[in-house]
Formats: sequence, structure tokens, C-alpha cells
Amino acid sequence: MQLTHQQACTEAERCLYCFDAPCTQACPVHIDIPKFIAMIKSGNVIGAAEVVKTSHALANICGKVCPEEIFCQSACNRAKQDSPIRIRELHLFATQQEWKRGYSITPAFPKNGRSVAVIGGGPAGLGCAFELVKMGYAVHVYDAKGFGGVPRNSIPSFRLSNDELRSDIEFLSPFVHSHQRLVDTKAFARIREQHDGVFVGIGLGLDKPLGIPGEHLPGVLPVLRFLGRAKMNTAYIGKQVVIVGGGNVSLDAAATATHLGASQVILIYRRSETEMKVWKSELEEAKKRGVQIQFLTIPIEIVGSDGVTGLRCRRTRLSDQHDASGRPVPFEVPGSDFDLDADCIIVAIGQVIQADFVSLFERTSQGFIRVDDSYRTSLDGVFAGGDAIQGEGTIVQSVAHGKAAAHAMHDYLTAETRRAQR
Amino acid sequence: MNIRDIDIYTTRDLSYDFLGLRFENPFILAAAPSTDNLEMVRRAFHMGWAGAILKTTSVEGTRVDLAYPMMSTFNHDGKKLFGMGNIDLISEHHVDKVENNVRMLKKEFPEKIVGASIMAGRKEDWQHLVERLESAGVDFIECSFSCPQGNIGEDPGKMLAQSVVATELTARWVKEAAKRIPISIKITPHVTDILEIARAVKRSGADAITASNSLQALMGIDIRTFVPYPQLNGRSTHSGLTGPAIKPITLKTISEIARNVDIPILGTGGASTWSDAVEFTAVGAGVVQFCTAVMHHGFRIIDDLKSGLSHYLDDMNFTSVTNIHRRALPHLVTHDDLPRCSVRSHINDALCIQCEVCYVACRDGGHIAIDRRPSKIPIVSEERCVGCGLCELVCPVEGCIEMRAPQEFSTVNYTG
Repeated sequence: MQLTHQQACTEAERCLYCFDAPCTQACPVHIDIPKFIAMIKSGNVIGAAEVVKTSHALANICGKVCPEEIFCQSACNRAKQDSPIRIRELHLFATQQEWKRGYSITPAFPKNGRSVAVIGGGPAGLGCAFELVKMGYAVHVYDAKGFGGVPRNSIPSFRLSNDELRSDIEFLSPFVHSHQRLVDTKAFARIREQHDGVFVGIGLGLDKPLGIPGEHLPGVLPVLRFLGRAKMNTAYIGKQVVIVGGGNVSLDAAATATHLGASQVILIYRRSETEMKVWKSELEEAKKRGVQIQFLTIPIEIVGSDGVTGLRCRRTRLSDQHDASGRPVPFEVPGSDFDLDADCIIVAIGQVIQADFVSLFERTSQGFIRVDDSYRTSLDGVFAGGDAIQGEGTIVQSVAHGKAAAHAMHDYLTAETRRAQR
Repeated sequence: MNIRDIDIYTTRDLSYDFLGLRFENPFILAAAPSTDNLEMVRRAFHMGWAGAILKTTSVEGTRVDLAYPMMSTFNHDGKKLFGMGNIDLISEHHVDKVENNVRMLKKEFPEKIVGASIMAGRKEDWQHLVERLESAGVDFIECSFSCPQGNIGEDPGKMLAQSVVATELTARWVKEAAKRIPISIKITPHVTDILEIARAVKRSGADAITASNSLQALMGIDIRTFVPYPQLNGRSTHSGLTGPAIKPITLKTISEIARNVDIPILGTGGASTWSDAVEFTAVGAGVVQFCTAVMHHGFRIIDDLKSGLSHYLDDMNFTSVTNIHRRALPHLVTHDDLPRCSVRSHINDALCIQCEVCYVACRDGGHIAIDRRPSKIPIVSEERCVGCGLCELVCPVEGCIEMRAPQEFSTVNYTG
């Protein structure tokens, strides 16, 4: 639901117009929220959209799907009086008005004569690319699937329509050179040679397997493949679906499965609701759609001969020990095995980086690319951000990484020039 | 890490000439607390304000006996500062300091417009102030003939701009003393005939009128203690009312002068947004002064003022702010000259939310011309509706009730 003009004005009227506003601080890309809301209030909606887009290259996408409950809205001072301002909806109201009217004209940014490469056309890559464009770089974006990344490949279309995605991409496309090709280790080396700096925003892309018997059976679907097909309307879904996971992607898969007509969708998660790394709103939505959630449950074997017929599960209990994420470690409860009927299993237990050239980088214990505070990788002149450095995050966080990395890269290249001149 | 975002939109040129001066946009700061401090004016200029009129100064030796607290609010419908009251007086700074502020600002910001506001009693004092500030480099001088509190008029308790004779005489003194800079006379709407005063200013040779000062007001009474606001240890006094509450009065004052007297006008009193500024300009203001909105939200409002005005000009296919100037005036006539058109209220059933607010307003304050229905969607009686427009005003839904010309109805009985 989008706000009507009257609703937007009424909501904007509630904004306290705080100075050094906590909502702006809480936004990873630091959109000047009180400023754009005041503009909606004054009737300057296009100005409001420009404020949003000055800070956020993927403004329409985030207006639609940004989890405001963990960012801007969670910090709203108005919540201390009654209820927080519906910031994301006001953001969407403004950017959609601008999109409908036609984009405000942006000037040709002055060129600085240097060329940089961005590998990955998702939020991190595009966030970085546009920031570098603003600073005068010729930016070459490499992605085999074109622009869009996760929002394009796996966010269900009932949450984010192709139009919304396209609107941001149409806005950004004229500014960058697009190279729609796969980057492997050899291509990566060539790209590094050809450009002054490289940003790697390759996301993850490869589903982690369960590593239990029966995973080869037809009917077992890695989640990214499932969501990707659903976006292209080619997804197969069974009647009785069990999803193994516990993150936002698993909720997307659950909602998509109900959407596609599965009569029963069960999500199993090895810990309890408190430990779930999900946005409350999505969890509530999934429950409303009839998704059943079995907490403290792990899969131990996929049952079936020619295809999936069920999933053997085991109960867990949470121990006093905590893992690296600070959450209690689940232990298996002996003798608690039970079977769930299923003709389709969706595996959504996390992802790893797909690109082969990732082996060139120093990595974290979880396999992500290691970066320092300035988003520098272990390779000289190569920066990274987005899911590839921290695992599944949000779009806006990835854009923020991209922006910050762009500035770090600019500082690095400027310093390098100074060194060369000395 | 907080990065300062790089601008991605070109800023439109909003500059134009007024009073022989180049204004980079029509937004300037009125003589008020915001312009009494060098650091504050500097910040405003850096943030994009086109100019500032430094807070009113007077001759050396004038004792400024301020009383605190000096501010009060007129809240309306849950909104703070719908109107703001103040019992402030002129600047406490010695004129030397104000002169120095003018010098510093003109040196640091040669492209910004620096005005000074003055107030005095005797001829030599008025003229001395003009000479000193002109030689300090001020771009224009505004003369406060109308401060609603602490007045220095011909009679105690009366403002200078309430006397035609005193206004003309004093304005003449001021104008005589100015060698090259324009002089604007800041007037009050508290007169029987604003045109008499405006014509007196015109006759004096002064270059412009600033219309208009705050309105005398009593801001409210604490109904438990009966002490009015602002409360100073059990006492209170009248305030000068500013802010959105006085905008319609200012629009009337400006338009009245603009229609009848050929003199440039600096608009002030109740403008808070870019669209208010458009309205002020459309009734004849050459520039628009801001004060209460800045005191409420800070200098940062300039971003929306400039952005909103730029987009408005684009939408209207206007090339300059001057295209707006006086544009509303041809539409403004006397009541006698108004066309007598028949209109009737029309309720859009599809938009109606069944609150029946229009029904009760018409029943008890209109012409008993709206009937109830079981559906709770009211219906207008074409016979009884006279087209006063009250129902449209009270309707909470945008566009639900509109006034339509009779030809849009199938049958209307005019003589009925």
C-alpha cells in the first residue's frame, strides 16, 4: 500500500523535524530524513525525492523493501511520544512521485580521467559505482546478469515489482558502462590491470548444502535457485513444502511457496524464535500467510526413492554455550526423531560466495572477503563490500558499503597520485 | 563513517534585481534575534540565505530594557507556534557593534544583501544612523516605524506609522540623509487606512515599504491563575504576533498597497514556506522576509525554500522569480465588482467517508441545505444550497466536496 497525497501530508505533519536526527543516523546511507519530510509537508515532493536520491542510489527499491523497523523508524523520537513516523512510506511516496513525473535532470559529472571497475551489479556495486561517477570516474560495471543483484534475482516479485527495480536501474544506467559478462579468475586479473581501482560487490550466490542423505533427490531445491525461478515464473512447487532455514531468505521462500499454491508450508529452524535473524514484519507476514514454524528442529534425512516423500527431523535444545554470533548453540535431543510429510524441500541455510576468484583474497572464518575499516581487501587497490564481506545483509547496508568504499578508493587513488608525483 | 553526500542535482539560478540590488534568491532574514549575532548571520549566509536585515539598532545611549521570558506561543489544533508572540525590543548592541557587523559581513559576503533596521526619535538621530550605516557599507536601510511594543512615536503608545504626518516627515528625514542606498519604511497593519500611510511614504521619497510588522496581540490567559502569557512573575503585557497566524493579514496589506501605490514592497509577516513566498510575491512583494519559521526550525529551512521555489518555477514554465510578481493582483477586485455566479455544493459519494461533518456545519452554520441519508452519505439539496462553500471547507477528504457552476447540474431552480 502506498500513501495517498493526503495520508503523506498528514504523516509528514507529525514529524518533529529533529536536528541531527536519530533517524538519519540510523539510516545506513544517512538520508536527511527530516529534510525530505519537511519538503513533502511544504508540497515540494520532487525536492523530497531528490534529497532521498542524493544519499541513496537505489531509492525506489529501498522505499519498497527497506526494513525500517531496524533502521530509521526504530530511532524515531516521535515514538517516545506516541508512535514513530512512517518514514519508509513517506520515502516511497516521494520517490514514486518523481519516478512518475520523470527523473529530475542530473548534470554531467566532471570527468577526472580515471577508470575504475566494479564487479557485481547489485546494491553494493551500484552504490559504489554511482558514488564514483559523482566523483568523476569512468565506471565499468561487470555482472553476467546485468544490474540488480539480489533484488532482481531473489526478492519475490510480490514484495518488489520489476517496475520498482527497473526505475532505479533506468536512473543509474546512463552513468556507467555495463559489461554483461562473467568474471572468473583470469578475467579478474585482466580487469585489475585495465583499471585504476576495483570494487568487488559480488554478493554470495551459492547455496550451502545440508549435507544429509537424500539431498540429491528431485524435489530438493536450493533456495536461490527456487527464488530465481519464481521470479521468472518457472518455479516448480509441491503441495507439502518444508523449508529448512531461519533467515529472511527462508521467509521469502515460505511466502513464495504459499504464493505459488503450496497447500502446506512448514519452516523448520534449529533454534527458537528469539534467535531468528529476521525482520519481525516478515515473520508476522509469513505467519499470516499460514506458514507453520517448527522451532528447535533440524533435518537429519530426506526421505524418498524417486522423489521426496518426507523429511526426517530431530528436536534440539539450546545449551548455555554461545557461538560466534552470540546465540546459544543447539544440541540434538536423542530419541526425538519424527517425520514430516513433504514432496518438496527448500534448503535455505545460508550462502557462500560463488565467484572463483574469491580464492585470491584473504577471507574470514566464515568464508567472506576480509576487509579493513576502509573496505580494503588483502589485494592492493581492490575494495569490497556488501554481502560478500559479511553475509546476507540488507540492500541499504550494501549501498552504504559501496558508497563508503568509493570514498576510500578515491582517497587511496588520490594518495597514490600524490606519491607518484613526488 | 558519515560521508557528506555529493550533490547530484543542479541548482537553478533564482537571482534577480530588486531595489537596484542583486538578490540571489527572494529569501532574506527579517530584523530579529536571528540577525543580531554575527555568527548566526554568517551561518545563514553559508546555508544560502540571500540577505539579512540586521536587528533594529538605535542611537548610542538608548537604553534597551528587555524583559524575560519574552516569547509565547499560539498553539492551534495541536500544532505549536501557529502564531508566535514576542515582547522583544530592539538590539541591545551598541550601534558601533552593528556597524562593525555590517562591515564584516559585506567583506566576507560581498554578494549577499546586508540591510540594517533603525529606529530613532529626533531628526538628527535618524539621519546620524543612516549616515553611519551607509558609510559602513550597508545595502539598504529599513526604518521601523511600527514596532508594536516600545514605540517612539509622536504620542506615547502610538506607532510612528499610525500617523500620516509623522510617517511622511520622518521618512523624508531618513531619505534626505541617504546618499545612494535605498530606504524602506516598515509599516504596521494597525491603521484605519493603510493606503494613507503608503502614500505618505511614497510622497516622502523613500524607496520602498516593508509590509508589515507584527500584530499587537494578547497571547492567551492561564485560566487557573489568570496571568496572561508570557508570564513575568505574575505580570504580562501585549505581544507582537507573528508566524502563520498572521499570513492572511499580511497578504491583504501587501496587495492593498501594491494595487494602489507605485512603490516596491518587501514582504514580511507570516511566511514560512516557499509557497507562502510565492503568494507574497504574487500580491506584489519584491522579496520575502522570514523570521518565525527560522526561529522555530533554524536556518536549514532555506534548502526547501530554494528547492521548492525552483521546482515551482519549472512546473510553471517561469524563467524567473519576477514572473510571479503581482500575478494575483488582476484577479483581486472589490466586493462590488465580484461576478455574481451561482454555485452549488457537490458531494462525491465515492470519496465520502460518512463523517457527516458537512451536514452538521450546514445545519447549524449554513443553510440547512444538506440532508442525511441512511447510508450516512449526505446529499445536497439543490433548492436550499446557496453555494456558500462551508461544507467544502470542513470536509476532511481532499476533493470530496466541490463547488460547481450551475451548468454542471441538470436542473437548478434559480428563482425557486
